[in-house]
Amino acid sequence: MNVLKYIEALRNNLSALKKVLIVYLIVLVIYDIVIHIGAHGHFFVDNIPGFWTLFGGIGCFILIKVAKGIAHAFLSKDEDFYG
Amino acid sequence: MDRWIHPAVFFFIGSLLLPLIKNEKAKKFILLLIPVLGIIDVALMQEGIYGSFSFLNIKLIFGRVDKLSLVFAWVFVIMAFLGALYALHVKEDGHHIAGNFYIGSSLGAIFGGDYITVFIFWEIMAFSSVFLVWFRKEQRSIEAGYRYLLVHVFGGLLFLAGMMLYYYKTGSMAFERILPANAGIAEYLILAGFSLNAAVLPLHAWLPDAYPEATVEGAVFMCAFTTKTAVYVLARGFPGFEVLAILGTAMTVYGVFYAVIENDMRRVLAYHIISQVGYMVAGVGIGTELSVNGACAHAFAHILYKALLFMGAGAVLYMTGTAKLTRLGGLYKYMPLTMIFYIVGAISISGFPLFSGFVSKSMIVAAAHEEGRLILMLLMNLAGIGTFLSVGLKVTYFAFFSKDEAPIKTTEPPKNMLWSMGLTSALCFIIGIYPDSLYVLLPYHVEYRPYTLSHLSEMLQILSFTGLIFFLLVKKLSPEEKLNLDMDYFYRKGGRAFMFVDDMAIAPVDTWWGNIYNTVALKLLFLKAKFAYAFDRIVIDGIVDGTALSVRMAGFLVRKLQTGRVQAYIGFAVFILVVVIWFALRMG
Repeated sequence: MNVLKYIEALRNNLSALKKVLIVYLIVLVIYDIVIHIGAHGHFFVDNIPGFWTLFGGIGCFILIKVAKGIAHAFLSKDEDFYG
Repeated sequence: MDRWIHPAVFFFIGSLLLPLIKNEKAKKFILLLIPVLGIIDVALMQEGIYGSFSFLNIKLIFGRVDKLSLVFAWVFVIMAFLGALYALHVKEDGHHIAGNFYIGSSLGAIFGGDYITVFIFWEIMAFSSVFLVWFRKEQRSIEAGYRYLLVHVFGGLLFLAGMMLYYYKTGSMAFERILPANAGIAEYLILAGFSLNAAVLPLHAWLPDAYPEATVEGAVFMCAFTTKTAVYVLARGFPGFEVLAILGTAMTVYGVFYAVIENDMRRVLAYHIISQVGYMVAGVGIGTELSVNGACAHAFAHILYKALLFMGAGAVLYMTGTAKLTRLGGLYKYMPLTMIFYIVGAISISGFPLFSGFVSKSMIVAAAHEEGRLILMLLMNLAGIGTFLSVGLKVTYFAFFSKDEAPIKTTEPPKNMLWSMGLTSALCFIIGIYPDSLYVLLPYHVEYRPYTLSHLSEMLQILSFTGLIFFLLVKKLSPEEKLNLDMDYFYRKGGRAFMFVDDMAIAPVDTWWGNIYNTVALKLLFLKAKFAYAFDRIVIDGIVDGTALSVRMAGFLVRKLQTGRVQAYIGFAVFILVVVIWFALRMG
């Protein structure tokens, strides 16, 4: 099947794919800095170039840590907890 | 068209024809014809008030057709078709009948112009949808179905109580917009009843409890109708209620939080319904024209991509027998098309540019931004991170990749499932690239452009850097075979406590009372019967024939009331309810 061939091709070139994605991330941040030149937004967060980069990265990190932390602390029970 | 046909009619009558048809092909034709007729009906509809009757001095309106009800009707009939196509291989007529009654009653609630009409369809929805859980025919599903039903009966009672108080207060049953300044106990009871169906915190636990236990095909229907009908009634009656803005935003984060730690694919998706409906509830709560438009647009887009995700997860469950991420992996080799369709759903829900979530969710976030609600806006964006993290990355990675060799080998699902997923994917994409196709249906005329430079930059940064962190921390996210406690703890364990009290206190009293009843009352009854029988035979001898019969009937009735069968109790409760309503209406 054709679809499968493309997926396998991507999987066989993971290191190249990684490099492309890193370049993409850098371009994205530069793009955000460019569109902020001379722009004035509603909130202070609208005026910080790259704010959503930090928000995405840090938010994701905190979400994983807090969710897994609380789960392990007291939310997770055995699957037959309710009998 | 100046004549109006209620679209629910097609679903009710059509589904009842099914058991009469023996030919498989004809049956499939009917199954697809029903929603097609529904789509044609909605397409031909003109705005106006139709089907209004006077009943006990109350005006019942079955057909309030305006822009708000039409946008929901459109997506309901489209979804009905996609769902019917997905469920085409199901053999049981009962499953199709339950599904069609569920859709028909959702349409009935959407077009209802007064509280009584809405309430009647509201209850049919709960009682028909529960069969989509029970048809799974596993012990867990049967139990979850009962909990689902009991919680919805409770919600219906809140609604009913509010409706009665509202009638005493205003003398009207008309279902119109309520201003927050005028809201008292009556309005808040109605709001609570509606909120329960929208899975607003803390009345949400029924959803992730029941949906993952439903049948593969039933879950596709369920994820679309109950919560979105509730969003409709909230948008109709309660825009601008601050409590909804706050609870809705809380829902967005709460849902993704659980989705990050859940193991079952369909439970992850169920928690994402809470999260996504949270955006809509918040949109209603913010209450501007843009935000209510956003709530409707998001409901429309959400029904399609969430159904698509449930179809994908359902296909995996159907083919492998499990939806647990810990037992899956490497499926990309066996189900590549299913994977692609699932990913289309996942990037739609995450709000990637060119897909439907991008053009609908952003309206609500933009409305929060416009109204100066910075915290709401940031929390919604945080929930956006969690959405991509859990539905987009975690489930895709652990179900379709993660292992080089799949623990369970399988193939693509049946053709009708693939077609249904393909069509739904196409719709998600069309809405994404041509948002005006959706915007033209919205209730208010508001100029909104999703594809701006800053919005593109904002979403791409959030999503891309979420992706980066995911791949750095992927080991930390490994799913675990665990059960995560939620609010249902209180009624599931509460039920145990009730049983304990019952065993310790009520049961002995009951036994004691039962003994008295057996020794005294029954003896008296028998004595009376004997006496009556003797009297009957000796004195009247056939002239008054009914006495013995009536005594036996009384005994039978007493036995009936003591069977302890849930359906008997529910039936009895409904009967009492009807009597109470009747009296209440006569008094008014």
